[in-house]
Amino acid sequence: MIISPAQDQAAAAGQWFLARENLGTLVEAIRGTGRRVIGPTIREGAIVYDDIQTAADLPVGWRDEQSAGHYRLVRGTNDQVFGYTVGPTPWKRFTFPPNLAIATAHRNNTFGFDQPMPDAPPVAFLGVRACELAALAVQDRVFLGGQFTDEDYRARRDAAFIVAVQCTTSSSTCFCTSMGTGPEVHGGYDILLTEIDGGFVLQAGSTGGAAVVAKLPTRRPSHAEAGAAVDNVEAVRTMMGEPLPMAGVGDRLKLQLDHPRWAQVADRCVECGNCTMSCPTCFCTSVVEKSDLDGKSSTTERQWDTCFDVGFAKVAGGDFRARPRDRYRQWLTHKFSTWWDQFGSSGCVGCGRCITWCPVRIDVRDELAAIAPPIAPTVRPVAVEPVAASPGSYSIARLASVQSETRDTTTLTLTDLDPAFLAGRPGQFVMVALPAFPAVPISISRFRANAIDLTIRAVGPTSTALVNLHPGARVGLRGPLGTFWPMQEAYGRHAVVVAGGVGLPPLRGLVDALVSNHDRFESVSLFYGSRTPEDQLYCDDLAAWSASKAIDVAITVDRAGPEWKGRVGVVTTLFDMISWDCSNITAFVVGPERMMQASVQGLVSKGVPADRIHVSMERHMECGIGLCGHCQMAGRFICKDGPVFRLNDLGEMFNREGI
Amino acid sequence: MANPGKTAQPRVAVAKFASCDGCQLTLLDLEDELLEIVSRFDIVEFPEATSRRSPGPYDIVFVEGAISAPEHIDQIKELRKQARVLVTIGACATAGGIQALRNWADHDAYRAAVYAHPEWIASLATATAVSEHVKVDMELRGCPIDGGQLTELLTAVLVGRRPQIRDEAVCRECKRKGVVCLVVASGEACMGPVTTSGCNALCPSYGRGCFGCFGPRTNANAKSWSTGMLKSGRPPEEVWRLFAGFTGYAEPFRTVITELGKTKG
Repeated sequence: MIISPAQDQAAAAGQWFLARENLGTLVEAIRGTGRRVIGPTIREGAIVYDDIQTAADLPVGWRDEQSAGHYRLVRGTNDQVFGYTVGPTPWKRFTFPPNLAIATAHRNNTFGFDQPMPDAPPVAFLGVRACELAALAVQDRVFLGGQFTDEDYRARRDAAFIVAVQCTTSSSTCFCTSMGTGPEVHGGYDILLTEIDGGFVLQAGSTGGAAVVAKLPTRRPSHAEAGAAVDNVEAVRTMMGEPLPMAGVGDRLKLQLDHPRWAQVADRCVECGNCTMSCPTCFCTSVVEKSDLDGKSSTTERQWDTCFDVGFAKVAGGDFRARPRDRYRQWLTHKFSTWWDQFGSSGCVGCGRCITWCPVRIDVRDELAAIAPPIAPTVRPVAVEPVAASPGSYSIARLASVQSETRDTTTLTLTDLDPAFLAGRPGQFVMVALPAFPAVPISISRFRANAIDLTIRAVGPTSTALVNLHPGARVGLRGPLGTFWPMQEAYGRHAVVVAGGVGLPPLRGLVDALVSNHDRFESVSLFYGSRTPEDQLYCDDLAAWSASKAIDVAITVDRAGPEWKGRVGVVTTLFDMISWDCSNITAFVVGPERMMQASVQGLVSKGVPADRIHVSMERHMECGIGLCGHCQMAGRFICKDGPVFRLNDLGEMFNREGI
Repeated sequence: MANPGKTAQPRVAVAKFASCDGCQLTLLDLEDELLEIVSRFDIVEFPEATSRRSPGPYDIVFVEGAISAPEHIDQIKELRKQARVLVTIGACATAGGIQALRNWADHDAYRAAVYAHPEWIASLATATAVSEHVKVDMELRGCPIDGGQLTELLTAVLVGRRPQIRDEAVCRECKRKGVVCLVVASGEACMGPVTTSGCNALCPSYGRGCFGCFGPRTNANAKSWSTGMLKSGRPPEEVWRLFAGFTGYAEPFRTVITELGKTKG
């Protein structure tokens, strides 16, 4: 027999191929070991986990459609056996039964208590998903990981032979990639199946599993079959989209115990407890006594219960979690936060059952995003691909209007733009050119519906020519270029913008975005200092922002005439107004070099962490794309590595003389 | 006779007002436990089962039916005086029952429409729960009540503890039984989330949404549930009927029904 390299590889991975028509042999082989097989089967309009006698009981060609408060069984487009995601009731039903007699008591002349021996006949779970394996591992830690253990659970768990099946599809409610539990299965199984066209790639994960596999009519998978198994699972990851920003969610929730959203979600919540009962990790129970009428014997029955129950936290004097919001908060914070404290892991595995089976369509993902928004999202917005990127190639825009700001500063509003410019982000800049004039870098000072603003100080030939243009004139643009303000990093924090003089234009787009998203921040503030009242930019905007509740604006000038009624002093003097927790500030700073130096020092000395101070640097630029070498600052090109930097990424190079 | 004392068997009476007698029948239907029950309780008054009558006082009085006619008011007050423990049984006694639908209607018009001689009919404009007239010590809900809960109550009286009757959503029983949620998987109308358990999810187990016959559970968020049903496209008339069905006059169902009635105009 000739063994191909691909087959060699499959052999090394312990992989086999089982044709779909032979799946019944797997069920038979397991049943042959004296086990009851529980697997997916159709009942009551859903794919539930129940007794499987033969492969005919499996949901061939069916899939499920799941969304918040919605589940439907639908015909698939192929004859996949495992083309669904997860069933309504988790596997805990079989390892942690919903009703269990945990003690009996008898009373005759004397009395006593008896604990029943665990009754856990051998069983096999067929079709356990990655998230469900993770859930079993979570309950293992709950019931077996501590000083006191649940021996009934241990017996049932030990009695279970696990046939895991990797997902090759996902539901809208699935978020295993966010919780780090799937879609790939990593250990915890006796046999692992991955469905591909025509059959399954399988491998054993235990000696028991290998013994069963040995009885099956398998062959080694071809290179293509082994590859398809990997690709089909990988495709699920793509299907689920970007993972949710779960990093630090436990700490974020702990900071939000008084968030108004708790009461809002509790108004919707009907406290049916379906989320907890459908949850594969929820483990709360209550006991009820069942006595015989003769009074001689009684049974203590443990039942699945839920923290949403009215009496769950009740004592003789009252209820510790009397309000619905208290109970909802208990559940959500336990799952995503305090579970870590108790068991060293999340209590959520991302199976999505609490979303699907909520009859009022509450989606925990939405609640988490609203109550504890991400501080540092794992997914950062990506800058748009710039147009006319090479020097000398320009996209033509039309000057729509000209607005004089101060005696030497003017704002141009440009329209008829390539869409790339509109998709730019606050903090980015464009290279602007006119025929016969060298290009200059100008930051985008506002994004409008169909236009951008450039605020220009007339200091050189190009800038002077630009500010003297009339509406209708044409302008060459390249961009948008450079890095942008990471606004998302301020979510859930105090966003502080510090601007000095003509440092405000690169920040104005950011302020616009902060204002329109203000409810995502603890607070939004602008500290703006200019040399004199006459040097103030955007007076209309400053007035409008000052009047709005979305942002606090503090303004100062270095020197003022008698008509000035506001504060006098450098911008750092405004920092005395900061009354909130400085460790929870994210700051954005732009201005002349000395002003930035002083502002950064002021913020750091007040306790703002250096990794939450963002600055925009200025250097001579000609190409804007890292090719001309002008804007180098130590190892960085300000044009493409910046202009926006995180302070501690600059380290010692920030405002160091002569660099 | 008046005071049975500690060693004597508890004297039990069963009485009824406006009702169908189904809850009383639940007691008679406890075939496996009935002999044990009559050997431990002295059922002295039970017109549904025996013509033997016996005056009070009683240790336990089970009351079925809504207060629906003028004479009921004096009768229930007298029963209360005779009862050490008064237990209301069923949707009629605990919530007013189906007949409480007339509480939102024109009583006189109904009477005229139904009876040839309405002037011969003495009835109140409202059918109300017993608890609106006298103090009630315990309740058994449902239409009809659940035999298991009745046995548990009797057992608890004998053992001397509080009956272990849960106050939780019907959904919990569906989940423990493994019944697939009809609301989510089939789009059925169901009162389970706001209705108290005790039936062992009887209707959902047979593919029918909960009719709410056990009535609202403590803290039932009837507002959210009715709003949700309306939002999912159910007409107000249907939502009205669902809430009004068996226990509509019990709060907070009553408020939902009254509000929906206003929107109907």
